[in-house]
Amino acid sequence: MINLQNIEKVYRTSTIETLALNNINLDIKKGEFVSIMGPSGCGKSTLLNVMGLLDEPSKGTVQLDGQPVTKYTDKELARLRNQKIGFIFQSFHLINDLSVIDNVEIPLLYRSTNGKPRQEYAKEALTKVGLSNRMKHFPKQLSGGQKQRVAIARAIVGNPDIILADEPTGNLDSAMGNEIMNILQQLNDDGATIVMVTHDEQMAKRTHRLIRLFDGTQVL
Amino acid sequence: MIPHLFKLIWNKKKTHALLIVEIWASFMVLFGLATLIVVNVGNYREPLGFSYENVWAIGLKANQDTTEIADKLQRVQQRLKAYPEVESVSRMSSNFPFSANTMNNGVEYNKRKVLADFYVTDENFAKTLDMSVASGKWYRNADSVGKYTPVIINQKTKEGLFGDENPLGKIIGEKFRVVGVIDNFKAKGEFMTNRPALFELVKTDAIWNDTMLIKVKPGTDAVFEAKIVKDIASMMTGWSVEVDYLTDSRKNQSNLVLVPIIIALVVSGFLLINVALGLFGVLNLSIAKRRGEIGLRRALGATGNGISTQFISEIWVLATFAMLIGLLFAAQFPLLNVFDLQASIYIIAILIAVAIIYGIVTLCALFPSRQAAMIQPAVALHEE
Repeated sequence: MINLQNIEKVYRTSTIETLALNNINLDIKKGEFVSIMGPSGCGKSTLLNVMGLLDEPSKGTVQLDGQPVTKYTDKELARLRNQKIGFIFQSFHLINDLSVIDNVEIPLLYRSTNGKPRQEYAKEALTKVGLSNRMKHFPKQLSGGQKQRVAIARAIVGNPDIILADEPTGNLDSAMGNEIMNILQQLNDDGATIVMVTHDEQMAKRTHRLIRLFDGTQVL
Repeated sequence: MIPHLFKLIWNKKKTHALLIVEIWASFMVLFGLATLIVVNVGNYREPLGFSYENVWAIGLKANQDTTEIADKLQRVQQRLKAYPEVESVSRMSSNFPFSANTMNNGVEYNKRKVLADFYVTDENFAKTLDMSVASGKWYRNADSVGKYTPVIINQKTKEGLFGDENPLGKIIGEKFRVVGVIDNFKAKGEFMTNRPALFELVKTDAIWNDTMLIKVKPGTDAVFEAKIVKDIASMMTGWSVEVDYLTDSRKNQSNLVLVPIIIALVVSGFLLINVALGLFGVLNLSIAKRRGEIGLRRALGATGNGISTQFISEIWVLATFAMLIGLLFAAQFPLLNVFDLQASIYIIAILIAVAIIYGIVTLCALFPSRQAAMIQPAVALHEE
């Protein structure tokens, strides 16, 4: 499903050059639930961004479903992100000026899905995460756990094959974190391929495979 | 996408309130200015109705002299006719073309009334100003013997008093008989509204109406002007003589209209530059504050161009909100017939103001929105 070959990512400024990822080779199969762990600054989020086509590797090849995407145009990459990948972030990234249902509808806007079906899909996704009674609320009226559930609904509303979660439980207490983990596990059971960055060993143990990074290099 | 943007802007209406007020105020100023310009362009496009090249107005003032004024005026007229440089001479009231003087009065026919500009002239007026009569004829001095004073009216007076009826031979205001109709007579210049006008035959024994219009041969210069002044001064002791070239008077009249418009344009220009700079600043700030949202939208499937289009569309939505409020005010002008202007003038002015506002907000949004499009999603998401 996701194949990374010899991935290297270098950040350059006028004075310094930082090697964020060094010779990463990964193959993530369809339906896998993979966690990535490592100390802060070891390149976990950079790796997730490269997998999510949000960042270009300095070297190496990224393949999605066997197709190399390195040479794709901005438009083609945007379409792939929209249709194949769902993102979940540690800080939720909800738009505070839009209601819960409007936030969840956003990925469908970029697919030009019409208003009525768009609302139906968003309602369905919110029901899956147990927030059907909060659709008209605004993010500021929700708890952290509820916000993350909205973010999950937004990630799954377009029915993507891959879900990339960057420390989805990082801002939540353990009870909330477990609740989010249960939802992710349910999504994986339903067939979604999930790659999750986490600092929490307990959460990582609940996944199929663990990848450890250290200073941009894969150590496990 | 458009309903989504409307929702987004509507939910942020408090944040955008000042911006909406700013755009609304600019719209109202532009509407006022555009109305002024549309009115004057409309006036300018209507023919003047006469020719002013090589025509001079000689103003005569008897001052302390009270004897045989009418005879003296006739003698001056005869003397002026005798100059080889003069092609034609006409005696008229002091409100000669492009002068600052105005005479108007109400005239009535069959309970229909118009307020018309009055000009008292002689038979040579049309010839001196190269005017053509649309129907009927220009009066002759000999016509003054009848019971009614012969008058010429312009098209506006005809429309106001007679509509589609033929005005020739009709009696108006109990003492005037219409003998001819001309098209336009815009005495105050190209920018004057084409108003109702009425030309009345001057009485030869009148002591008023002491302006002589002369049409001189092309190339006649100030030397001849000095000669006329000197000759008249020697003929009429104690009288004062003042010569105005109609070309110069026309420039003065045009300046009276153009100078306020130019000042208004400059002031509005500064206002719009300020508004544009304000908008530019607000948009730049907004993009800086919304980097996380930009990163998120890119992650969810927006292209760089899509982000750019979104920001331009947002400012268009804001401008539309502001102009809808502005339209509520602007629409009152044609509905209430303010300033007695045609509704089409206000509609054109509204369209111009709308186009300029959309143009300005688009220009202001272009650079910030391009900046937004270039934000790297991974960087923006990480910053948040």
